[in-house]
Amino acid sequence: MDAINGLVHGFGVALQPHNLLWCVIGCFLGTVIGILPGLGPAATIAILLPLTFNMDPTGGIIMLAGIYYGAKYGGSTTSILLNMPGEASSVASCIDGYQMARRGRAGAALGIAAIASFIAGTIGIVILTLLAPPLAEFALRFSSPEFFALMVVGLALVVLLAGSSRLKSLLSLIVGLWLTSIGTDLFTAQSRFTFGLSDLVGGVDFMLIAVGVYAIAEVMGSVAAREKTQLLPVPKGFRNYLPNAEELKACRFAFVNGSLVGFFIGMLPGAASSVSSFVSYGIEKAVSKRKEMFGKGAPEGLAAPEGANNADSSGAMLPLLTFGIPAGGSTAILLSALILWGYRPGPLLIVESPNLFWGLIASMYIGNVVLLVMNLPLVPVFAQILRIPLGLLFPMILGVSVVGAYSVSGNLFDVGLLALFGLLGYVMALLDFPTAPLVLGFVLGDGMERALRQSLSMSGGDPMILIDRPIAAAFLVLALFIFLSPLVGRLRRAQHGEVTAP
Amino acid sequence: MKLGYLGAVGILLAAASGAQAQAPAWKPSGPVSVVVHTGPGGGTDAFGRAIITALERDKVLENSFIVVNRTGGGSAAAVNFIHEKAGDTNTIGIFSSVWVTDSLVQEEAKVTIADLTPVANLVLEPALLVVRADSPYKTLKDFVDAAKASPGKLKQSGGSVTARDAVVRHVLMANTGAEWAFISFPSGGERVSALLGGHVDMMMIEPSEAGELIRAGRLRALAQIADKRIEGFPDVPTLQEAGFDVPNVPQARGIVGPPNMPPEALAYYEDLFKRASRSPSYVKYLADTQLDNAYMDSKALGGFLTEYRDQLRTILTGAGVKVVH
Repeated sequence: MDAINGLVHGFGVALQPHNLLWCVIGCFLGTVIGILPGLGPAATIAILLPLTFNMDPTGGIIMLAGIYYGAKYGGSTTSILLNMPGEASSVASCIDGYQMARRGRAGAALGIAAIASFIAGTIGIVILTLLAPPLAEFALRFSSPEFFALMVVGLALVVLLAGSSRLKSLLSLIVGLWLTSIGTDLFTAQSRFTFGLSDLVGGVDFMLIAVGVYAIAEVMGSVAAREKTQLLPVPKGFRNYLPNAEELKACRFAFVNGSLVGFFIGMLPGAASSVSSFVSYGIEKAVSKRKEMFGKGAPEGLAAPEGANNADSSGAMLPLLTFGIPAGGSTAILLSALILWGYRPGPLLIVESPNLFWGLIASMYIGNVVLLVMNLPLVPVFAQILRIPLGLLFPMILGVSVVGAYSVSGNLFDVGLLALFGLLGYVMALLDFPTAPLVLGFVLGDGMERALRQSLSMSGGDPMILIDRPIAAAFLVLALFIFLSPLVGRLRRAQHGEVTAP
Repeated sequence: MKLGYLGAVGILLAAASGAQAQAPAWKPSGPVSVVVHTGPGGGTDAFGRAIITALERDKVLENSFIVVNRTGGGSAAAVNFIHEKAGDTNTIGIFSSVWVTDSLVQEEAKVTIADLTPVANLVLEPALLVVRADSPYKTLKDFVDAAKASPGKLKQSGGSVTARDAVVRHVLMANTGAEWAFISFPSGGERVSALLGGHVDMMMIEPSEAGELIRAGRLRALAQIADKRIEGFPDVPTLQEAGFDVPNVPQARGIVGPPNMPPEALAYYEDLFKRASRSPSYVKYLADTQLDNAYMDSKALGGFLTEYRDQLRTILTGAGVKVVH
C-alpha cells in the first residue's frame, strides 16, 4: 500500500466518530497539561495508560498521541504570558514570546505560536507520511560523532545568543555546562559535584532551572522594581488578538526552519525536544537581517522554536513507527502501550497493522487542525490572565511553580533548588548577565559530553573519527562558520568604516 | 489499637467463612503506597502501573494501590523514602537491580536496599545478545573469536558501567580472554539505533525490544541470558549451551518494605504477591513483555539479594568500578 492510498485508508479510520472523539479528547488534555508546569506529557500518558486498556487500541493510541503533541501547543501559553515555561520544549519560547507580550503583543504572540505549531506540525506529518522508510534508514547513519558535531553547532549558536557582552555570555554558558555535569557519570558510575548529597546523585532537572531562572527571577525582579500596576498591557480590540500581516511576513522563514529542524532533530533518539527548539532559534537568529531584534520580541524568534517543538513530535514518531525504537520519554510509553495492546511495533507494523499505522498518522493531521481551532479562540481568554492584579498573580505564579517542581519528584529538595535558581536568575539579571546561554549550555552540554566520549570509545581514542565521517565533518564546518560570523560582520563594518571615514 | 481491632475483625471474618480460613488475618487499612524510583513512564513505573492494573482487574487487590514516584539519586530517593517509613504497614516499593548496584557504588547512599525488608520477588528478566542480521558472526563463539583476534576493535552498545550488559560483558571477557569495547548510551533507543546503523557490533537487549527487529530480518540473536530457553526464542542457545561456562547474572524485580515491618503485614504482602503470580491478567502481562514469572517469598528474596550483591561486588571490583559499600 503506497503512502497516498494508505493515508486515504487512514482517514477512513480516523474520521470514524469515536476515533474523532478520542482525538479531540487527547488534544484537549494535551493542551491543558501543556499549560501547567510539572505534569508533562510523558507522565500524563503513563497515568492514563491503564484506563485505555479496555479501549479499542486504535482509539487509545490516537488519544495518547494527541496528548503528546497537544502538550507542545499548550506549553507556550505561560511562556509568553508569564515567562514560565510549561514544558521543557517551550523554554526557548520564553525568550522572544515574553518580550512580545511586554510590548503589548501578547495576543499576537499566542496567535503566532498557534499558527507556527499548526504549520510545522502539519509539515512534519507530511514528511512522515511520504518519506518515513527512507528517512528512518538515513537517521541510522547518525551516531555519536554526528551527534557531537550537531551539539557543537548548537553551542556555536551561543555566540549569536550573546547579548551586550561576549564575556558575560561565555561565563553564563560555563555555569550551564557545569550544572549539567552534576550527577552520576554514565561511563564510570561515579558522582560528580554532588557535595555528598544523595538528592543530587541523579542530576538537576531541567525544568527546575528553566522555571527558576525565567519565571521566579521575573517575579522577583518585578517585585523589586515595585511594579504596582498590571504586569503587561492587555491587548484591546479583536485585531490586537491576532498577529498582523507584518508579523506573519517576518515569520515566513521561521515556519519552514522550525518544521525541518524540529522534524530532523526529533527523529534522532536521544535528542530532547528542548534541543530542536533552541537550535532552530539559533538558526533563525543567524540568518536574520535584524539580529538586534532577537530577545526584544521578534515574532520570528518565537515562531521558530514553537514550530520546531511541534515538528519534533512528528519526527519522534518516525523511529517509533518504523523500527519500534522510542526517541524519547513520551514515545517510550506509546511503545509500551502498543505492546500491551498486542501490537508488534517494528519494521513490519506498517504492513501487518495498516489500520493502526495509517489511522494514527491521519489522526495527527486532524489533531493539528483540532488544536488550531481549539487554541485560537482561547487566545483572548488566556490574555485576560494579564488583567489579574499583581498581588494575586505573583503568588499564583510562585504557587504553580512550586507545585510543579514538587509534583515531578515528590522531593522538597527540588523546591529548594527551584528557589536557588530563581535567586541565581535574579542576580544575573541585576548584573546584566544573559540567561539564555546558561539554559542552552545545560540543554546541550550533557548530550555533547556524552557523544564525544562515545565517539572516542568507538574509535579507541582517535579524534579523527569526528572529521572522518562526512555528516559530522559538514556540521563541524558549519559550526566554524557560525562561530566566525560575528567576526566577519565586524571586519566588514571596519572596512566599510575605513572607506567612509575620511 | 486500630491494628488490633482490624486484626480481630479479620479473625472474625476468617472464622466466618470456612473457605478462607487459610487467608492471613491482617489486612492493610486504607490505600497502599507503591514507591518506584523512576518518573512516570520510566521502566519500573510502567511495570508497577501495569501489574497494579492487572491485579485490580483480577480482583486480587482489596485496597487501592497507588504508585508514588520518588526520583532522584538513581534509586537513593526511593530507598530513603521507604527507610523513613520504618514500621509502616501501608508502604511498599518495587525494587529493580539498580537498587542493588546503586547501593554498591554510591558514596552518598546512607541507607541501602540491605536496610529494607525483603517481601517477595516478582520477576526475573531474561536478555538476548544480538548482532545485525548481516553481521559475519553467526554464533557467540564467532564473535568472541573475532574479538580475541583483534582486541578492543569490536564494540558493544549498552547502558551504564554498572548495568547488567556491562557486567555480562565483563564476565564473558574474563572467562574467554577476549576483549571488546563497551559504549554507554543512556536510553535503549540509542543503543539499538547504534547497532542497526552499524556503529557498534553487538548489544544485549530485552527480548520484547528485539523480537520484531529479529522477525523483520534486521537483527540476529546469538545467545540468551536465561536459566532455560525462553518461550519466544526456542532456537537461541543460553550462554552455557553456547559453550560459555559462566554464571548467569540475573536481573530481578520485586517488592521490598520499610524496616521493621510487622510480621502480620509481611505475611499479608507475601501471600498477596504469591496469589498475584497465579492471577491470569498478571501472568498474561508478564508473557506479553517476556518476563519470567519468578515469585520468591521474603526469606528466599533476602538470600537472593545478599548473594546477588556479593556476586556484583566481585564482578564490578574486577571490572575496575569503584565499589564503596
